[in-house]
Amino acid sequence: MRGKWLFGGIVGGAVASLALAAGDSVLSAAENNAPQKTTRRVDSQLRTEFQDASVKVAPPADDATYLRRVWLDLVGQPPAPKAILAFVHDTAANKRRRLVDTLLADERFGNNWAQYWTDVIFYRRSEERALIGARAATEYLATRFNDNDSWRDIAASFVTAEGDVREDGATAVIMAQAGRPEETVSELTRIFNGIQIQCAQCHDHPTDRWKREQFHHLAAFFPRVAVRPSRMGPQRTFLVVANNFPAFRRPNANNRFAGTLEHNMPDLNAPSAPGELMQPVFFVTGEKVKIGTDDAFRRGKLARWMTSDKNPWFANAFVNRVWSELVGEGFYEPVDDIGPDRECSSAATLAILADSFVASNYNVKNLYRTIMATEVYGRASGPRRTPIETPFAANCSQPLRDGQLYTSLFHALGLPDPATAAGRPGAGFRRQRGPRVLFKNVFGFDPSQRRDEVGGSIPQALTLMNSSQINRAIASREGTVSQLMHNTDDDREAITNLYLRVLARRPSKREIETCLAYRAESPSRLEAFQDMFWSLINTAEFKYRR
Amino acid sequence: MSHQHQNTGRKNSHPANLARRRFLQTIGAGGLAGGIVNWPDLMALKAEELRKKGMACIILWMQGAPSQFETFSPKPGHENGGETKAISTAASGIQISENLPQVARVMDRLCVIRSMSSKEGSHPRATFLMHTGYVPTASVKYPEIGAHIAQQLGDSASELPSFVRIGRSRINAKGGFLGVDYNPYVVDRAGGIPDNAEPATSTKRYRRRLALLDSLETHYAEHGGKQEVAKHRKLYRKSSQMVMSPKMSAFDLSQEPEHIRKQYGDSQFGADCLLARRLVEAGVPAIEISVGNWDTHFDNFSRTSDLCGQIDQPFAALIRDLETRGMLDKTLVVWTGEFGRTPRVNGRGGRDHYPRAYNAVLAGGGVQGGQVIGKTDASGESIEDRPVGVSDFLRTICHSLKIDADIEHMSGIGRPIRVVDGGEPVMEAFG
Repeated sequence: MRGKWLFGGIVGGAVASLALAAGDSVLSAAENNAPQKTTRRVDSQLRTEFQDASVKVAPPADDATYLRRVWLDLVGQPPAPKAILAFVHDTAANKRRRLVDTLLADERFGNNWAQYWTDVIFYRRSEERALIGARAATEYLATRFNDNDSWRDIAASFVTAEGDVREDGATAVIMAQAGRPEETVSELTRIFNGIQIQCAQCHDHPTDRWKREQFHHLAAFFPRVAVRPSRMGPQRTFLVVANNFPAFRRPNANNRFAGTLEHNMPDLNAPSAPGELMQPVFFVTGEKVKIGTDDAFRRGKLARWMTSDKNPWFANAFVNRVWSELVGEGFYEPVDDIGPDRECSSAATLAILADSFVASNYNVKNLYRTIMATEVYGRASGPRRTPIETPFAANCSQPLRDGQLYTSLFHALGLPDPATAAGRPGAGFRRQRGPRVLFKNVFGFDPSQRRDEVGGSIPQALTLMNSSQINRAIASREGTVSQLMHNTDDDREAITNLYLRVLARRPSKREIETCLAYRAESPSRLEAFQDMFWSLINTAEFKYRR
Repeated sequence: MSHQHQNTGRKNSHPANLARRRFLQTIGAGGLAGGIVNWPDLMALKAEELRKKGMACIILWMQGAPSQFETFSPKPGHENGGETKAISTAASGIQISENLPQVARVMDRLCVIRSMSSKEGSHPRATFLMHTGYVPTASVKYPEIGAHIAQQLGDSASELPSFVRIGRSRINAKGGFLGVDYNPYVVDRAGGIPDNAEPATSTKRYRRRLALLDSLETHYAEHGGKQEVAKHRKLYRKSSQMVMSPKMSAFDLSQEPEHIRKQYGDSQFGADCLLARRLVEAGVPAIEISVGNWDTHFDNFSRTSDLCGQIDQPFAALIRDLETRGMLDKTLVVWTGEFGRTPRVNGRGGRDHYPRAYNAVLAGGGVQGGQVIGKTDASGESIEDRPVGVSDFLRTICHSLKIDADIEHMSGIGRPIRVVDGGEPVMEAFG
């Protein structure tokens, strides 16, 4: 399996891959030093901005909060009680940095961030059946993140992908838009360059510099791509194919462009006319290919230009997203609407990070290391600032993504995750009734959304309060509560352990008193602790990363 | 639950009573006495209340796209009409397919549009279009019409959700950029109380748990999570109110008298329609029921006839029941699928996708029954009179419900989007 993805990746990003291979060894020598230098520059830049505005910054987060934050951010789950106690009692000065390094090397890192990007791509799917490709996308991205492949190569592979969407995860963006040229290029620029050029699809955008022609010049890189159903193998699937000969393609109701080798810009005054023939031109740099060139050449060029050092939006878009997830607020919000006409909340800081990201040849783990060592990452979390307040004076709480919450829930319950392979996203779009998929349907959200706009929903509250599966699991003899009862007769100790397990921190004195009082009023010790457990997994704190 | 309680519940929860009570509450205590509300404000407030009083919409969604020839637009004289015969209805001069004999008897309450037309012939895209008025794009998350109805007509203080979807459906638009508050509350099938809507423990213990939860939220509220906890407490208050609400008994069809249940018949669709009526009574303004699969590429005639058999009695019963209760004037019932089917019968006795000319039905909500709008030619292949596009259709729904189709909402990327873009309501539908 792994060989196949690598194969897909190499074919996909051929040009960029070769370029990277040459620079690889040079990079690793500089690797240790560069992130720390960048971190210091970010800290000093932000400190200057705070002084200018005489801002009161949040104090550093305490160890337990910091530990839970790093675990959730990197590996998508909270730390176990033992890990919490070990970290809190560790006196080493560099323990925070060491923690980040350890978890970056953990396989779950790739999986956690692969889920994030899979969601970025598939929450904008144009059809439900696109989800057929979601699982391959997650597996593909997990491998590439864990291998610390250059973000440039990874991104390029999504532009140039071909193949079976169940096998090659790089086909995800094209599959999610059913291969329609206009939608596919809109998504590629939104995801990898943070630019919403599709507003120019029908008219010149009033607040943007991009013109309608530029949008259609971009779509002209994709007219030869198609997504085709395939029933050849054991499972129904789709293939992303390129056709350079008109005889192989028929127009159909799903794609008015199918059957043409070039892209035409529709005439708004005569919608049924063929429209104006468009040359493929990349709007950011103005680089172009000739009409008539074959698909691989066009998309190869586009992949190179979209991910090039000359296109600042490529690095900016990625840095902005990672920063936003880690610090709780993006330089630009929403994270996928950046570009020259948008306001950046700290352009100098973004430039420091983006330059270093480019210099590292888009080294993903280095970027995490850099951001997570900054002062702002390590600060206590505060409320989202008002628009007039200076940004980045505190870390910001984030609602957990569904994958993080799901793993946190089973971690708290002390039970193995019942989600089998069959229940994982993309396992079969019509039979997605596994617990993991049902959970995603209720708790999932589009990660490109501003987090303060991601509201909790009634079905979410109903699920965590009343789901019979969860309530059975709370009462299970193998579960956390039964184990706690079995391990100690001391209520204070049991309460402490409950907090460590569910919220990854010790309870405050007042919380212990509240729980002891509740215990005293309850019909039985077991019932009291089940109720405490129920209450803790239903708190906002459990559902947020602080 | 006692019989008496059920009666009281129904009386109080009648939409008109609710609206009146709410109106009085709104202006009552603080308003006039405190001099905050002046006379013009009061009139505006009243107009607002009157405008919205008790309007509701039940969408009967025929997933997969039903054949117009085998439902409301038979063509018995033409070879495209196939073997399907036409029958007379309660509305003189209007004939519909023989597959819907009971619906034929309430034809005088129904308005058939035989000239629906669109360009989308793919199920997901057309389903999205019919629900939102827009074709799907990655950049803007268009809300579906049910969410707009909930947003404009729903009472935020209601203990029940304002948009309920019954049956698994292929539509994924939901609340879109209006936000999760307007996502449909989905019930897989009508019957009892839905999953997770009842406490997992005794009510007494559930209340104790809720109280404990509330006190354990304090720590985070005092350590950087003030906003998050405030929002979260509000959500839990609303959710637990719903769980404990006597109005949730609207979902329990066993509380409905036997003779009424009989009118709706034994099919799942019958139960779904009955639930829809109960929800309207309980003050829910937007309900959608999905039934299918009408995608009859082969064996069109027998399969469509079977499906019609499932919907015929419930559809007719719903119209009659709403009318008997005096609710039909304020409840718009919409019957439609995503497009129509090809006039020419294919080699497998099936009909394929045909968005160029199809049909839809409206009833109640001020719609004048017993009429046909629009016309296709003898072959059913093209529209001869009064084409109705998707925007026109959605505007007609808005007009009936007295909701504003021109309100602009901001999409996620700051682009103002109207509820319906373009189009004109089909005013003939309202007589």
